[in-house]
Amino acid sequence: MVNIENFILDMFIYVGIFGVLSISLNLEYGFTGLWNFGKVAFYMIGAYTSAIITTLGQPFYIGFAAGVVVSSLAGLLISLPALRLREDYLGILTLVFGEIIRIILKNEYWLGGPLGIRGIPSITPAGLDYTTTLLVQLASITVIAAVCYLVAYRLIHSPFGRVIRGIREDELATASLGKNTFRYKASIFAISSAMAGIAGAFMGQYVTSITPDQFMPFVSFTVWMMVMLGGFANIEGAFLGAFLYIGFERAARIAKDYLLLPIDPNNLMFILTGLLILIFVFLRPQGLLKENKVRDYKGV
Amino acid sequence: MSLNIAQILFNSLLTGSLYVLAAIGLTLTYGILKFPNVAHAEFITFGAYFAYTVADIWKLGFPSGAAAAFVVTGILGVATHLFLFGPLIKKGASILHLTVASIGYGIVLRYAMQEVWGRKDLYFSAYYPGFDVGPLRVTLLWLSFIFLAVAVVAIFHLLLTETKIGRAMRATSNNPSLAQASGIDTKMIIMLVWFLGSALAGLGGVMKASDTRITPVLGWNVLIMSFASVIFGGVGSIYGTILAGYILGFVENLGVIVLVALGLSTEYRFLLGFFVLVCALIFAPQGIAGITFRSIRKRWRAVG
Repeated sequence: MVNIENFILDMFIYVGIFGVLSISLNLEYGFTGLWNFGKVAFYMIGAYTSAIITTLGQPFYIGFAAGVVVSSLAGLLISLPALRLREDYLGILTLVFGEIIRIILKNEYWLGGPLGIRGIPSITPAGLDYTTTLLVQLASITVIAAVCYLVAYRLIHSPFGRVIRGIREDELATASLGKNTFRYKASIFAISSAMAGIAGAFMGQYVTSITPDQFMPFVSFTVWMMVMLGGFANIEGAFLGAFLYIGFERAARIAKDYLLLPIDPNNLMFILTGLLILIFVFLRPQGLLKENKVRDYKGV
Repeated sequence: MSLNIAQILFNSLLTGSLYVLAAIGLTLTYGILKFPNVAHAEFITFGAYFAYTVADIWKLGFPSGAAAAFVVTGILGVATHLFLFGPLIKKGASILHLTVASIGYGIVLRYAMQEVWGRKDLYFSAYYPGFDVGPLRVTLLWLSFIFLAVAVVAIFHLLLTETKIGRAMRATSNNPSLAQASGIDTKMIIMLVWFLGSALAGLGGVMKASDTRITPVLGWNVLIMSFASVIFGGVGSIYGTILAGYILGFVENLGVIVLVALGLSTEYRFLLGFFVLVCALIFAPQGIAGITFRSIRKRWRAVG
């Protein structure tokens, strides 16, 4: 019998991880209009960098920092050629980039190969009972998520935020106001890749073993699903979307133990996810919540 | 290791034929409807599975399996447009939403196929022994597929240049609203494009599977190279895509030899596709389709 408290704690830890990923995608697509179908690449880079460094014996904060830096650099690197492209080309390029990183990790044995990296040191001290461990983990991801939220909040309510929304609406017009749109887009890519990196680094130490097959393109698509559920260009919606999607997934996981289905529950889960995407595209393409308003400065 | 140049060229032709079949539909829908249809990968897989059912479960033989896959995958493509993308476009969905919808639809299709045909690898029972032609090792299957792909290219060329429907297709691909204004039934043309594009993708799936095995990720593995062909060739350009498909086939076969020589995993051949994609996007985002239809004809006339 699974302990229901632990089950819920674990669920909220994942809501935190995916909430961070959703914020990062929302900064890219929701606010700036950049297509990124390869979010998983930066999540993966963060997870692997941190895992490699911490298994070599370094403390977790160095691993996390390295994950953030390497992920952010990777984001910046891919953005340099990619950001000059049309939006849909950028989408394809990032999608393929994620697959490439996965293939490299799968084939390089010094990076773990197909079996990945096992025995990643956890941030929680050994000897705690399971529920306390989960509570500590939840507290840590809450701190990480809160920091990411605050960064995103400050960004979108600043002049910077107005420029990136301007880029989304009309890049040419924004450029004509003397804004270096390329630099803004590259910064957004670097910042949001850094967020994806820390989410990956946290995930790695939480599950303590990572394999390349955990980072299929489907992960990027679930993040899109969450952003679409919560609402584009809404950073609170990012967490709402993550909560709804993961809740749906967990509920389905419980339900399948009690239901006798004529269909493989794993397949059904994926099919339902796909259908959910289609339903949202048809009925509520803008998501549940509206875009965060630009703050009114009249009173200031 | 001695290099058998003739064999490399022959294999390139074979791989290139696969990419051409897989990419023609992708480039046409991308060109006309302006969104990258990620679910195209699943059409490729579907073709392979359907051919397997006809050929090996209903025991009707491999050729009828391939023919049935062609027709049924085409119908699947038309149904996709009728029930999914058509209504979405009518509702005024943005390109992003169409792309996201194609991702969701692809997931539904892939796992529905996994449910029907299982997760295990399947193999066609038809076996084609190899024989030698000069320095070449070939099988009847490979030869017929190359013949088929070349025939498809030739038929497409004739269709596009010599028939009214072909001209209407080109017009629609070039400028849908202008085509409509000049009395072309663009809806019918788009339907035809979905049918032909998906049918060819299904055939490409049969081709890939008959040489290897059928898995749920069959189409996904071809998709990256197909996108590379489409963008390298120039979105919407059939000739560019054909040329790019064969160039990529050559690059991949050459690349595998280099990888083996360097002692690296041959899975890295995807990196080559990625590399070509990145180079194409940076240096020639219009693709090799600067070479448009008219310029080819002009050059042809100048030669002749």
